[in-house]
Amino acid sequence: MIDNLFDSTAGWLQEHALLPLMYSLGLMQWEDISYGWALFAVYGAAQVAITFAICLPLEAWRPVEHWPDKKAVLVDVLYTLIARVGLLPLVTFVGFYEVQQWLNGFLTDHGWIPPTLEGLFPILLGHQIATFCLYVIILDFADYWRHRLSHVFDWWYALHAVHHAQRQMTFWSDDRNHLLDEVISFLWFTAIALLIGIPPLQFPLLVLLLRFLESLSHANARLNFGRLGERLLISPRFHRTHHGVTAAGHDSVNYGAILPWWDMMFGTAEFSRIFVTTGDPTAEEAMASGGWLAQQSAGLRRLIWGGVSKDVSRVLPGPARSGARLRATGQAPGP
Amino acid sequence: MRSLLPVAALMAVMAAAPQAHAAGDVLVMNSAGASLSVIDMASKTELCRIPVLREPHHVMLTPDKRDLLVGDSAGNELVDLDPNSFAVRRHLPVSDPYQLGFSPNGKFLVVNGIARAQVDIYDPATYKLIKRFPLPTMPSHMDFAPDSGMVYVSLQGTGKLAAIDLRTMTVSWETAVGPAPAGVLWHNGLVLVAVMGADYVAVVDPATGKLDRRIHTGKGAHQLFLSPDGKIIYVNDRVEGTVVALNAATLIPEHTYKLPGGPDDIVFAPDGHVWFTLRFDHKVAVMDPASGTYDTIEVGRSPHGIFMNPRAVVKCPGG
Repeated sequence: MIDNLFDSTAGWLQEHALLPLMYSLGLMQWEDISYGWALFAVYGAAQVAITFAICLPLEAWRPVEHWPDKKAVLVDVLYTLIARVGLLPLVTFVGFYEVQQWLNGFLTDHGWIPPTLEGLFPILLGHQIATFCLYVIILDFADYWRHRLSHVFDWWYALHAVHHAQRQMTFWSDDRNHLLDEVISFLWFTAIALLIGIPPLQFPLLVLLLRFLESLSHANARLNFGRLGERLLISPRFHRTHHGVTAAGHDSVNYGAILPWWDMMFGTAEFSRIFVTTGDPTAEEAMASGGWLAQQSAGLRRLIWGGVSKDVSRVLPGPARSGARLRATGQAPGP
Repeated sequence: MRSLLPVAALMAVMAAAPQAHAAGDVLVMNSAGASLSVIDMASKTELCRIPVLREPHHVMLTPDKRDLLVGDSAGNELVDLDPNSFAVRRHLPVSDPYQLGFSPNGKFLVVNGIARAQVDIYDPATYKLIKRFPLPTMPSHMDFAPDSGMVYVSLQGTGKLAAIDLRTMTVSWETAVGPAPAGVLWHNGLVLVAVMGADYVAVVDPATGKLDRRIHTGKGAHQLFLSPDGKIIYVNDRVEGTVVALNAATLIPEHTYKLPGGPDDIVFAPDGHVWFTLRFDHKVAVMDPASGTYDTIEVGRSPHGIFMNPRAVVKCPGG
């Protein structure tokens, strides 16, 4: 039912806004693909609205930190709107669609049936939720390694530092990323998606749910899922530890996005019971408190000329990592 | 909450029970829903959905009428169904099968790959590729000369119509027809092309490729179909939200129907009703051309191709 509501809204947007615009701009050859963008834009707007409706009261009810001035948060709102409603879904969708079509067609020409999970496991055909869950597990695993590697290489962390520089982390911070970092993510996920044949349009409602969980994990809220829940799904407390001032740079923990399983499996899980102070002390101030352009420029500067220091252990005292260090240096003030 | 369980159980049983219906079913390609909707013609209700891999767009009956082929473009396969029961028989790997058509003599299957900018000619007996024509860009729709000598393909990305000689396997000519051309129809010695980036149907001389004239229909002219009695050509205008009925003899517009929701492909029912897929409304419209009134039927996301078999009796899963 709710799926139909989104479809109808996307259809209305397509018919009454996008199509007349494309017609007047002479872009009608793209009208078929533009429906995909309309759909993603509608789901993106719904993501923002739902996240706003749930996370805002949550942050007001049990905030980890209080800030007199929330200017830095406004920039993250801009990041979110760009990433979820505006240009990015369009570029991502069209880009992914084109690359997937080209590569799969190429493989077919050479006698290869392009791989799909449903092809490997025919029982999945028609069972969209089960298929989606498998896709999520595979993609989350891939994202764990993408994220972990972005902390390993100096040049990559120079860009990723934009995400970590935020000292006022809220549910808006999930999309606070350098554009080049987004491009790398796009290429990374395109490669994985092509390997397992992810269908671009089948699961928007479930994607909405996942994006909500990712936003929630950044919320400025004293929220955890309990001893068992923390090990099933990533909570705001678990992910906050990753954003701690002592967890920036090379030496970090809790890289997972949706599932904590990969951190547990590869020894990077930190089930700290505290809520740490967030930010990256090695980041240029412009990355933390500048506007969107200033943050992007600071990321580029750090990429080209290097940062103050990429290894947080060089600027902060104490052991290189672990919850002991977090407890010693990075605990957020109580409510 | 517990009190709802018996109701839910009853609904589940009802859903699984055989769904009796009179003969006659319609198959709709839900291009953004990875499924095919089965509609009972008599009750005008969706009976079930058949899952497919990715993006089913168009459908074509083989010349011997024994197989129904659905092109799954992003899935890179043709899904072969029984046209009487809609049961899936096999999956044939084919590169980017967006639009497909058989030459009238049945010797060739032509497949337009809109994403890969290719027109492929297959042997329909073996589904082996005979020849590939890289045709920039976005080959979308097609029609054949009645003698099967030529296939005419609209090139949506470059605003052209291409003529491929199937005897010599060469491109005879390409001609500019207007922005984003879509539907193609061979009619009375002329080739008609719906020009989606404009508001007209281009009339082209099939021998020379010369643009003869333009027939104004409405903004976003997308597809055109000849009625079974050969008297009317229906033209769908995607942006305008209209369907224009052209007199097939004179090519003069005679009637304009308002049909919002992105009208696309058409099938004609034996009772005279015209069935349209509505791309943006996830619906199928069943219109009475005498009155212009229509009913709609909910289907899946972005319905595109449509096939009707008044004699089909489909047993849906669980039914």
